Parts: sequence; structure tokens; C-alpha cells
Amino acid sequence: MKQLLKKITLAALSCVLAFSATFAAGCSTSIAERRNDTSSTLYVGYVSSAFPTTFFPWSSRDGIAPTIASFIYNTLFSMDTETDEYTPSLAKDWCYTDLDGNEMRTPEGKIDYEEVENYYSGDDTDYMVVKVTLHDNATWSDGKKVTAEDVYYTFDIATDNTRSGHAGALAWTADLLHSSKEGQFAQQGIFTRNHDDWGRYPYAEDGSDTVVYLHVKKALGAVAMLFTTILILPEHIWAPLTENGKLVQDNATGEVLYQYEHPVGCGAWTLEENSRQMIVLKNRGTDYHLKAEDGGALYKVDKLKFMLYLEQNTAIYALLKGHIDILDASMSANYLRLFEQEEGIYVSNVTGTASQTLVLNVNPQEQYKTPMRDLFANPDFRKAIALAINQPDIIKSVLNGAGNTASAGLMLPRTDNDPLYNPQSDIFADALWEGNGASGYENRVAEANRILDGLYPEKDGDGYRLANGSRIFFEILANPGELELVSYLQQQFQKIGVEVEYKAEGSMAEDTYLFAGNFDMTFQATIFSAANVDTMYDSHFISTSRSSNYGRLADEALTAKIEEMESALNENVKYDLIREIQTMIAELYYKIPVYSSNVISVARNDRFTNYTASAGETVFNEDTLKQLEKVV
Amino acid sequence: MKASYVIKRILLTILIFFIVVTLCFFIPRIGVTDPAERFYPARSAGMSDAEYEYVKEQIRIEYGLNGSTFQQYLNYMGDLFKGDLGNSYQTGKPAVIDEIAECLPWTLVLSVSNLLISLIIGILIGTMAAWKRGRWQDRALLNASTITTALPAFFIALILSFYLGFEWEIFPAYTDQNMVSGFDWSWGAISTVLYNAALPIFAMAIGGIVSYGQSTRNSVIAVSGDDFILTAKAKGLSNRKVIYGHTLRNAMLPIVTQFGMNVSGLIGGSVVIEQIFNWNGMGTLFLTANSNNDYPLMMGIMIFMSAFALVANLLTDFVYSLLDPRVTLGERR
Repeated sequence: MKQLLKKITLAALSCVLAFSATFAAGCSTSIAERRNDTSSTLYVGYVSSAFPTTFFPWSSRDGIAPTIASFIYNTLFSMDTETDEYTPSLAKDWCYTDLDGNEMRTPEGKIDYEEVENYYSGDDTDYMVVKVTLHDNATWSDGKKVTAEDVYYTFDIATDNTRSGHAGALAWTADLLHSSKEGQFAQQGIFTRNHDDWGRYPYAEDGSDTVVYLHVKKALGAVAMLFTTILILPEHIWAPLTENGKLVQDNATGEVLYQYEHPVGCGAWTLEENSRQMIVLKNRGTDYHLKAEDGGALYKVDKLKFMLYLEQNTAIYALLKGHIDILDASMSANYLRLFEQEEGIYVSNVTGTASQTLVLNVNPQEQYKTPMRDLFANPDFRKAIALAINQPDIIKSVLNGAGNTASAGLMLPRTDNDPLYNPQSDIFADALWEGNGASGYENRVAEANRILDGLYPEKDGDGYRLANGSRIFFEILANPGELELVSYLQQQFQKIGVEVEYKAEGSMAEDTYLFAGNFDMTFQATIFSAANVDTMYDSHFISTSRSSNYGRLADEALTAKIEEMESALNENVKYDLIREIQTMIAELYYKIPVYSSNVISVARNDRFTNYTASAGETVFNEDTLKQLEKVV
Repeated sequence: MKASYVIKRILLTILIFFIVVTLCFFIPRIGVTDPAERFYPARSAGMSDAEYEYVKEQIRIEYGLNGSTFQQYLNYMGDLFKGDLGNSYQTGKPAVIDEIAECLPWTLVLSVSNLLISLIIGILIGTMAAWKRGRWQDRALLNASTITTALPAFFIALILSFYLGFEWEIFPAYTDQNMVSGFDWSWGAISTVLYNAALPIFAMAIGGIVSYGQSTRNSVIAVSGDDFILTAKAKGLSNRKVIYGHTLRNAMLPIVTQFGMNVSGLIGGSVVIEQIFNWNGMGTLFLTANSNNDYPLMMGIMIFMSAFALVANLLTDFVYSLLDPRVTLGERR
């Protein structure tokens, strides 16, 4: 037996030695490569299940893919959410023109909305003309010039699912007059110098190869989608590969696969390396048509190295230990204390742009109606529910103070005098309710109880109200991260005799509960701005087929007002209508605000400085990238 | 072992496989009225009902989700019989089989290493504990068994990752993102893989070692009192011959059963560990598929795992009878 033990010990020692040698060799490739990297490479941590290995902008919709696509490709413009102005991207200028191609501008060179309204408000035209001028010096990453033909090609493909392979593009271009179906050209609504109708549209003749005309069915909203959503593709790359074929192909091989893996774009970055765990983007420097103020490269960082983390805590520790510079994610306020104690960490805690709301299921499909859900049909009952929510308390307890109250009109003020925001719609604001020696919240709860005493005066032994003999009880469909919020709402609703309970929503809540309206209450974040109201108001308050209108609200007055706003050509009129809509949304008590959380994000500042983030942004954003400087 | 029994078992395995495929197809779709729903774009303000319905139909066609669920099932089975697991919904729509082929080797690095280390060390430790019954070696194994039963592998993994990885930096806390893309079968690349695999294998193997050790100990103790062991000892055989020639060989049956069960879980058994250590294996692939509602990829992985488990179980059955002549499969006594 002793001999046996000796042999086992010897064998074990040999194994240990062999493994030690292997590990010693393996140690030479440390995972913390950032620490030894002296180049101007920004290591960006990203939490996801995997990185895509091929890139095609229109089908890159999940996880990091849209971010990477937006670095490699450009849209025509981007939207400055603070000023609601389009900022140049691939295009440098745009305006509305009349049918003869004359620009409609004020003497100061701005869009003359009054003239647009006067010219196009008649019934004799079913579209408007938008003129877009591209940058003269924009090039693709293979050196070829970007021309209006590329824009024409992109929109032409995008309006035809058979060719684009992505029906989503059809939705983005729905407001474009131009269309083709199943590979057949249906209606021309885009013009460049080489693709025109010379007899009917004389304005096309004066176009250069950087001017394109679009015919759109509506103003503003339609333009926003066309300008800021569709990434422009290089015709010279894709046209030869897709003649009579689909642009996005299943199980791509050969040249098509090569193009997916080595995309040629017109953005500021090119794809240098990619795998399921890592994506490396290289700065095009002065090859990119947009430059910094000093005429140098727009971005100071040479490379962006996206590192995949499957789990957020691992990514956070990787940041703390110096494996990455920045985390491309917003984090829970619970992490604030962890970061505050660390050196070399920059914590960004900025105002959010989303309003978290409690959605009441006011109009479930017939098969999902229940006696309790029927109660939501009464706006007075909904009002009582809304009055019982104490936003400041939730912000203090659930968000650790890292948030603000959200207006009942669901539009957040971006500046002190934001022309889009209607302060009158903030009907639950504490200041409005204070009086009689009681706080705003106490008065709101008293009012809620007064309403409910009129509707459901009976209570059970535990103090909960009874409706037709049954305790008023609702489940709040939520994810585990919202458990704490539900528990605070439980306490607040107890004050008005309404019981609520958490219900796990699972992984496919939209498919299983929300679109069909099979829930009592749920949480939903909303972000409304001038750039998206044309689409999002419809999606949140009108459309009941498949939309973000989870509780399937169908309110005629609100629908009419939103439709009026959508078709308003004059920007000032449109803004007035948006302000009116906010009040209507507030008084429907359908999506009730619970808070607007801050956006918390982190970065290490021991290699790069000048991080910045504005409202709603994480610290990994375009402005940061433009400003970053290496610490010597 | 009769040939008829073998055929019967194989046919039964095929039937179970068919049932598994059917369940794999229908379970993710339960309660989902329209699986393509999540791919529909937001409806543009200018879109009519007909236009939007057209867009939706195009998307259903794009993802192969048009027609009734039963029709989709028939289509899927038809493709499956041709060996086609379909295409993932990921960008470029790669073939599911290619996705699996890319991730499978990385999972096998972890699971095979774990299985072999657990088996070999477990048997050695278990035999020693049985031989030293009641002494500190035996008690240590018993205590270790209690602890590892109470501590799940993922918890051990988190502790290892935090201390040995992040705090003391002895091993990588998570997989080097360059490991997969830079792998080229060179000594450096292989050693990098082993270095990165150290903590995940360790985390998985701790429980396995103790589990195999405990099974071996119990089995050896049960056998060591048998008459043939006493006879071997009486014949004056050396301890080594008694242990390895007689005791351990006859104590192997329960261990073979456990080994067979572990082999069947080789591919799907390390999902959480892969997640903790950023390991690019089948578990990660499955989570990706699940989070993207990538039905073809989810189905492909589940079918592959099931097929592997069924074949492993079948082979375990057959090996069982080869190891112990007393086991007669399909024969009447």
C-alpha cells in the first residue's frame, strides 16, 4: 500500500509540474493586455451573450450590432436631441423645395415652415419635395467617392423587401413616396442626376452627383426617419453582388460573406478585427469627411476595442482592475457607492430622458378580460391609482436618489424653457397639491380615497376595498430587477385599499402578454422627443395591433389630436399640438409616471480623460470620443 | 446481449429522439401567438393596415415563420431528415450546424477535461478513503462531500474567479477575448487555452472529484467484504492486486453508471460556468439563441444535446453488460 501511495504521489507531482509549465507558458498572454498597451486604443467593455461575426447594417439589429454599424456606416444626418436640429453626417444640408426645385428658406437660411405649409397644404399634391446635399469630400473606406447614386440605391433597395431581405427597412421608408414591390419598380420618388424623369421634374437637371431629391408623404416625422435611421450603402460594392438577387442572403458564402465580414462603409471607423468575443474598429482619421475644428481627425482615439462580457459583474470588476477603459452600459444606482470609493474611476450620473411608467391594461382583448381589469375602464378609478403613486419616495428608495420625477404628460423638459414641454401637464406635481397643512402626497392620497369611497366604499377585514364582493387585486407584470419598485408600490397602493403583487414576466413578455393585453399592470419606459413623436405617439397610444400600446388604449380625442399633429407642416403649430397632447395623455391616467432614472455609467480616467455625457447618454458616446485625450 | 435487444433499444432511442424534437419545437412556441412578433418594426405613422400587414408577412417569410405552426413543424422535420438544422437568425444567417461546430470544441475542452480529472482523481481518492476507512482521509472525503453538495459549482466558480482571478491574479478571472480568434494550434495557443481553462475546469471538477470519490469509496467498501476478496487476501495477493485486480474492478459498475450519466451531460452541463468565465462554448451559444429568440439555433442546440445524451445513455447500457458478465440485457434468466 505504501508503494502504491508513493506512485500516486509521484504521478500527482508529475501532473502538477506539467500543468505548471503549461500555465507558465499561458501566463505570458495576460488577459489584462490594456495595462501594457501604450497605443491610443480605447478598451470598451460590453455586456452581451455574443458579438456578431458578420455585419450588414439593416440586419444588424441586436446587441452591439447597431452600435458597430453606426460607426462603420453613416446616416444622412443625426439628430441633436437637445436642440431638435439635424446635424450633418453624410449629408451637409437639406431643405424643402417646391415642385420646381426652388428652396423654401427664410432670409436667414432656415427652413421656412410657413411657406412649406402654404405651398403644400392644398389637395393638389400628395407629397413634398426634400432636397438633400451630400458632403463633396465623403468617401467610402475603400477610397471611392460617396455620391447621390449611393443614396438612391440605398432607398431603392430599402423600399423593396424582396431585394433588401429586411422588411424593417420598409417601415422606415413608409413615408417615402418611392416604392417597389417584389423586385418590381412601383413608383419613383427619389431623383438624382442620373435617375430622373426629365420631362416632369426639371429641378433634377441642376443636381450634381451630391444632390438627391426625396418625395415624402409627410413633413418632419417622415424626414426624421429617413434622415436618421437608414444607413447608406455603397452601390459599387453591393450592386454587382445583388443583381436580381437579395441583398441579405441566408448562409452567405464567397464574396457576399466576405463583404459581410469586411464591410466597406462611409463612417469614421473601419472594422479591423472581429470575433464572438472582440471587435476592433480603426479610426479612418483624416480620410473621414467630417473633421475636428483644427482640421485634424474628428476622433482622437486610434482604435476602439470592444471586449465581450457575458455577465455585468465580471465587466464591472474588469473595469475596476484596469482590464478595460470604459463600460458601454448604464448601471443601477446600487453601484454608485462601489465606484465612489475607487481611484481612477470617472462616474457619470446624468439626467435620464426616459420616463418609467406604470401601464394599466385599459382595453384587453376579449379573451383576456377579467372582472378586475374591467375596473380600469373607469378613468376615475385610474386617476385614483395614479394619485396614490409617490414619485419622490420611490426615487429616494428605489433609485437611491439618482433620478427625477417624471411629468404625467410623459415629456421631460430638456432645458429650462423647452418649447416642447408643457408644464401644465405635470398634474401630479407635489407643488400643485400642497395645502391645508398637508403635503402634496397626503392630499393626493386623500383625493384618491375620496374617489374610491364613491366607487368602492366596502372594505374587507384587512382594509382592502371590495369590488362586487372581491378584493381589488392586481398583478404587476415585471422583471426581477423591478421587484423593489413593486414592493414600494404595494405600500403606496395599500393607502388607498388596493392590493398589488409582483408577477414575473419571463423572457418573452411582449409576445406572451403585452401585445395581446394579457396583464393587469406592467412597467414601460417611454422616451418622447420632437424627433420621434410622429412614430412613437402612434405606437404608444393609437395602434393596437402590435405596438407599444400595451394596454391597448383607444381614445378618439387623443387619436384625432395625434393625427392632426402628425400632418402639421408648420413646426410651430406642431409644437403647440404636442403640448396639448401632453395634457391629454396626463388626464387619461393610462401610462402613469413612476420616475425618470438617471443614466449612470463609468470609465477609467488613468489612460484617457475628458469623458462627458449629456442627458440620457452613457459616458461612451460620440462627444466623449471626439474629446478624449490620452494621459501621458 | 441479444441482437434483438440492441435493435429494440436503438429503435426506442430513435422514438425518444423524435419526441424530444417535437417537444423542442412546440415548447418555445407555447403561449406565443406570433413568434415573429418581436421582429416586426414599429409601425410608421404613415402606414396603412394593408401596408403594415404586408411588412409583417414579409418578415414572417424572412424568418420562416409563415403558415401554421404545424406546417412549420412539418417543414422543420423535413429539413431535419435531410440533415439541415436551418439557419440562425443572426446577421448573415449562418447555418446552425456551423454555429454548433464552432462552439462545440470549446465546450468539450472544459467538459472532457472536467470529466477525466474528476474520474481519475475521484477514483484514486475514493479508493484511498475506502482503504483508510474511518481515518482522516475518509473523514476528509466525507466532509468535502458535505461541503460540495451544499455549494453549487457556480458559487465555487464565483469565489474562484474573484479571489484567484481578480484579486490575486493567479489565473484569468475570465477568458481572454483574444483566445478564440488567435487560436492556431501552436504550443503558445494551446497553453493559453489551458491557462484560461484552469479556473472553469477547477470549479467544475471540485464537485465531480468528490462525487466520484464518494461513489468509489462506497462501492469499494461494499465489495471489500465479499468472499472473493477474502479469498484473494487468503491467497496472499499483494494489496495492490487485491485493490486493482479484484476490489476496484468489481466496484466499477456504479461508477460506470455515473460516468455514463456525466457523459450524456457533457455538452449542456457547463452553461453557468461558461457564463461566469466568459467561455465561448455551447452554453454561451444557447444563451445567445435564447436571448435573441433565435428558434432555429435554440432547436439545433437542444436537438444536438438530446441526441448526444441519448447516444451516450445507449452506449452506457451496452458497456455495462460488457463490464459485468452477470448483467444480461434482453436475455431471460
